[in-house]
Amino acid sequence: MKQRIELKTRREFLQTSVLGASLAWTVPSFLAQTFSALHAQAVDSATPSATGRDSEILVVLQMAGGNDGLNTLVPFANDHYFRARPRLGLPVNTVLKLNDELGFHPGLSAFKDLFDSGHLSIIQGVGYPNPNRSHFRSTEIWQTASDANKFEKHGWIGRYFDSACKGAEPTVGVNIGRQTPQAFASSKPVGVSLDNPENYRFASSDQPEEGETAASEPFFRKLNRPAAPLEMDGASSVNAGASIGSLTGRASVGGSPLDYLERVALDAQVSSDKILGLSRSVANKATYPVSPLANSLKLVARLIGGGLPTRIFYVSQGGYDTHTNQVGAHERLLKDLGDSVKAFISDLKAQGNFQRVLMMTFSEFGRRVAENANGGTDHGAAAPLFVLGDKVKAGLLGKQPSLDPADLANGDLKFTTDFRSVYAGILERWLKTDSAPVLGRKFERLECV
Amino acid sequence: MSNPLSASKWNHATAAHLLNRAGFGGPPHEIRKLAELGLDKAVDQLVEYEQFPDETARPDWAKPDPERVERFQKLRSASAEQRRELQREEQRRQRERIFELRQWWLKRMAGGPRPLQEKLALFWHGHFATSMQKVRDAYLMWLQNETFRRYASGNWLTMLTAISKDPAMLIWLDQAQSRKEHPNENFAREVMELFALGEGHYTEKDVTEAARALTGWSYDRFTQEYVNRPRLHDSGNKTFLGRSGFLTGNDVLEQIVAHPQAGRFIVAKLWGYFASDNAPQGLIDDFTSVFRKNGNEFKPLLKAMFRSEAFYSDSVIRSQVKSPVQWLVSSVRMLEAELPPPMLSSNALRLLGQDLFAPPNVKGWDGGLAWITTNNLLNRYNLAALLVTGENLVAMGPGGPNGAMRRPRFNNVRRIAGLSIDRILTEDQRRNKDALIRALEERLLQAKLRDKQEKALRDYLDAQGDLDDSDILHAIRLLMSTPEFQLT
Repeated sequence: MKQRIELKTRREFLQTSVLGASLAWTVPSFLAQTFSALHAQAVDSATPSATGRDSEILVVLQMAGGNDGLNTLVPFANDHYFRARPRLGLPVNTVLKLNDELGFHPGLSAFKDLFDSGHLSIIQGVGYPNPNRSHFRSTEIWQTASDANKFEKHGWIGRYFDSACKGAEPTVGVNIGRQTPQAFASSKPVGVSLDNPENYRFASSDQPEEGETAASEPFFRKLNRPAAPLEMDGASSVNAGASIGSLTGRASVGGSPLDYLERVALDAQVSSDKILGLSRSVANKATYPVSPLANSLKLVARLIGGGLPTRIFYVSQGGYDTHTNQVGAHERLLKDLGDSVKAFISDLKAQGNFQRVLMMTFSEFGRRVAENANGGTDHGAAAPLFVLGDKVKAGLLGKQPSLDPADLANGDLKFTTDFRSVYAGILERWLKTDSAPVLGRKFERLECV
Repeated sequence: MSNPLSASKWNHATAAHLLNRAGFGGPPHEIRKLAELGLDKAVDQLVEYEQFPDETARPDWAKPDPERVERFQKLRSASAEQRRELQREEQRRQRERIFELRQWWLKRMAGGPRPLQEKLALFWHGHFATSMQKVRDAYLMWLQNETFRRYASGNWLTMLTAISKDPAMLIWLDQAQSRKEHPNENFAREVMELFALGEGHYTEKDVTEAARALTGWSYDRFTQEYVNRPRLHDSGNKTFLGRSGFLTGNDVLEQIVAHPQAGRFIVAKLWGYFASDNAPQGLIDDFTSVFRKNGNEFKPLLKAMFRSEAFYSDSVIRSQVKSPVQWLVSSVRMLEAELPPPMLSSNALRLLGQDLFAPPNVKGWDGGLAWITTNNLLNRYNLAALLVTGENLVAMGPGGPNGAMRRPRFNNVRRIAGLSIDRILTEDQRRNKDALIRALEERLLQAKLRDKQEKALRDYLDAQGDLDDSDILHAIRLLMSTPEFQLT
C-alpha cells in the first residue's frame, strides 16, 4: 500500500517539478503551474534541465582570517622585507623563485607548478582605499564590493545573479559551507549553501531501514507541491502554456508570499534530489589531500562533473589569522591550499571541464609588514590574489607595493590594484557581463583572463 | 483605513492574528481567552504590559566585571604562550555567556508574561543591529538588550538617546573612539541613515557636523559604562539640519527626532514589522499623526495599529514569513513544548539565518521573503522534527562536505524530549481522523487547510491505519514541513 502511493507520487512529482524549477523566477507562478500541469500530461520522463551545461564557471576561494601576503609571495631580494621580519623572513634559498625578486613560500610548490604551466595569474598588491583592519568589516567590504565608508546589504555575487542570471535555477550559486556568505546576498534570495549533501534534503525520521523510503516522504512531497492545476480554468491555461517562451526573462515574481514559498519549496526538492544524486553518483578522478578545503573542492568537482547548472561556486579555508607562532601554521595552510587546488584542477582536467572553470582566491586583508613580538603578524592591508584557470593571463600582474617604511600607511602596504578591478575583469572577460550594475560603478578592468 | 476594526469582526481568527503578531502566538486556549476579552481589552492587555510583573532574574554574570580590564592588562605582559591561553579562555567565557544569553531571551519570549515587550525588544535588536562579533562582551550585549526592553514602547527621543549612550553601541559604531581631532562619522551617519531618517534626508555636511557634536560621548572600559569626556568634545559652532550653535550630542538627537521624516520613518518600520511591508501611503500618514500627536510615544501608536481595520485585512493576515525566532518560539508555544537546550536552540537559529546578538551587519536582518532560501527552508523542515519527535536530523557541528554521517548529531545530542501528545490532543482527537485534522489545523495554522493539503494529510493518516502517537507526531512534523506553516 505504502509502496504504491510512493511510486505514483514520485513519478508525478518529477514530471511537474523539473519544469517548475527551470521556470522559477521567470514567469508568474500561476503560469509556471499551468505549464507544469500541461507538461505533466505530455512529458513522460524527467529530463534534466540543460541550462548552463557549457557555461563558464567561477570558483571563489576565501582564505579567511587575513593571509600574510608577504610570506606567500615573498620579495626575497628586498632588504626591507628582512629588516621588518628578522624572525619570520623566509630564507632566500627556500623560496620558490618566480623571477629575480619574487618567489613562493616553500609550501606552495603546487602553485609553482601551476605558474610554470601557465595556469596561474598572480595579482599583486590588491586592496582598497581606506583599508579597515577588522576581519568582520573588511570581509564585508570584499563581499559587498562596497567603498570602505559605505554599508551595502547585498553581495557582489548576489548582484551578479540579479543582473545577469534572471530565471536561473537556485543552484546557479552553490556555497560549500553552512552559512551563506554575504557575497551571495541579493534582493531575491538565490543560491544554495550546503556543507554536507546528505543534509541538504528532507530528512525523514520514520525511515524504516537504510535505503528505504520513509513512510512520510511521499506525503511530504505532496504537501510541498504547488497548488493543483484544478484551480485554474482549462481552456485559457493551454494558451498560456503555449506562449510561455516569450515570457522568459521577465522578472515577474508572482503574487503572494505563499506563491513564493511554494516555488522555493519546489526548488528545494528538485535541487536537493539533484545534488544528492550527483554527489553520490559522480566520482572524483584525482587524489586530494585530506582537509576540509580539499573535501569542499572534491564536492565542487563532482557537482561540475555531474553538470549542475552552476555559475559560481564558493568555498573557504579558515585559519589565516596568524598572530602568534605563524611559521608552522602558515606553512600547513599554504600547502593545503596549493595541494588541494592542484588536485581539483587535475580532477577537472580528467573530466574535460578545466577550460570551463576559473578560480579566484581572496582574503580580507594581508598582514602588517613588520612581524610582531609573538612570532606572528597582525592585521594589515594589501596582499596578492590568485586567479587560476586554463585561459588566465599567466604570470605576475599589477604592481608589487613598496616595502620602504616611508611608503607604508600605518605599517601596512599600500594597495596598487583595487579588488573591484579584479572583479570587473572576471565579470566582463570570464562571466561576460557588464560589471557596472554589479559593482555599482565602472572600475578599471584588470585583464587577468 | 486606520479606523478601528468593527466589533463584529473580532473573533478567534483575528485574536489569533493579534497574538501572533503582537507576540509569539500561543496554544488554542490562550487564543480563546484573548478572543473573549474583546478587541480593546485584548489590545490593552498586550500593550499595557507593565501591569504584569516580570521577575526574570538576570544571568548571574550580567554585571560589571572589574577584573576584565585586569585580565587584558595581564595579557599585555604575558608570554606568547600564556597570551594565547588567556585569549582562548576569554573567548570561551564570552561564547558560553552568549549561548546562555540567547536562551535566557528565548525563554522570556516563549514563557514570559509580556509577549509584546519581548517582541519589541526583538524589533529594536534588528533596528539597532549590534553584533557580539565586534563588541565581544556578553555583559554589554545583555545591557543593551535590557535597554531595548526598558524603553521598548516609550518615547522615541528617550530610546534614541539611551541607545546612543549604550556601551555596546558606542563600541559597535566606533563612537567610543571619536574625538574632536578626528571625529568618527560612523555612528553619526548611521543614526540618520539607518536608525531615524533614511537616506536622502540629510547631507554629508550634516554627517560631519553631527560627528563633531557627538564627540565626547564615550565608553569607560573600567566601569563598562557610558562616560561623557568633555576634553574630547568639539565645543565649536556647528550647523546641523538647519540649526546652528554650540551643538551637543543631545541637540543632534533632538533635531533628528523633530525632523518631519523621523515620525514616518519609524512608524513605517514598525508597521512593516508588525503588519505588512506594503502599506498604502495614507495609512502610514494616519499612524504618523497619531504618533506625533502623542508626543512621539510608541504606546498610543501601537494601540492604534493593533486596533485598526487595516491590521486585520486579508492582505495582512497569514501573509508574513515567520522570522527564525518567530518560527522557533511560536512553534514551541503552539505545541506547548519546551525550547531545545541552549546549544541546540542557538545553532538552530544560526542555521536558519538569525543569530541573535550577531546580526549580519549594521543594517540588521533583511527579513520577509529573504528568510527563505532553499537550504534554510529544508533546515526549517528538518528542525521541525527536533521540536516534534525530538530527533535531531540536522548536522550542526563540525562535519564537512564529505561527512559520512547519515544520521548526524551535534555534541552527541541526537534526541531530546519530543512532544507529549496527550497534553495537546484529546482522546477523541487522537482516534478520530477528522477531529485530529481539525485540531491540528487550529493549533498549527489557526486557519483552514487548503483542500489539497487536507487531502495529502488525510492520505497520510489513512496509510497508517489505526493511529498511534508516533504517527500523529509525524503528521505534525509533516504539517510543519509545508510552505504555509512558514507564514503567520
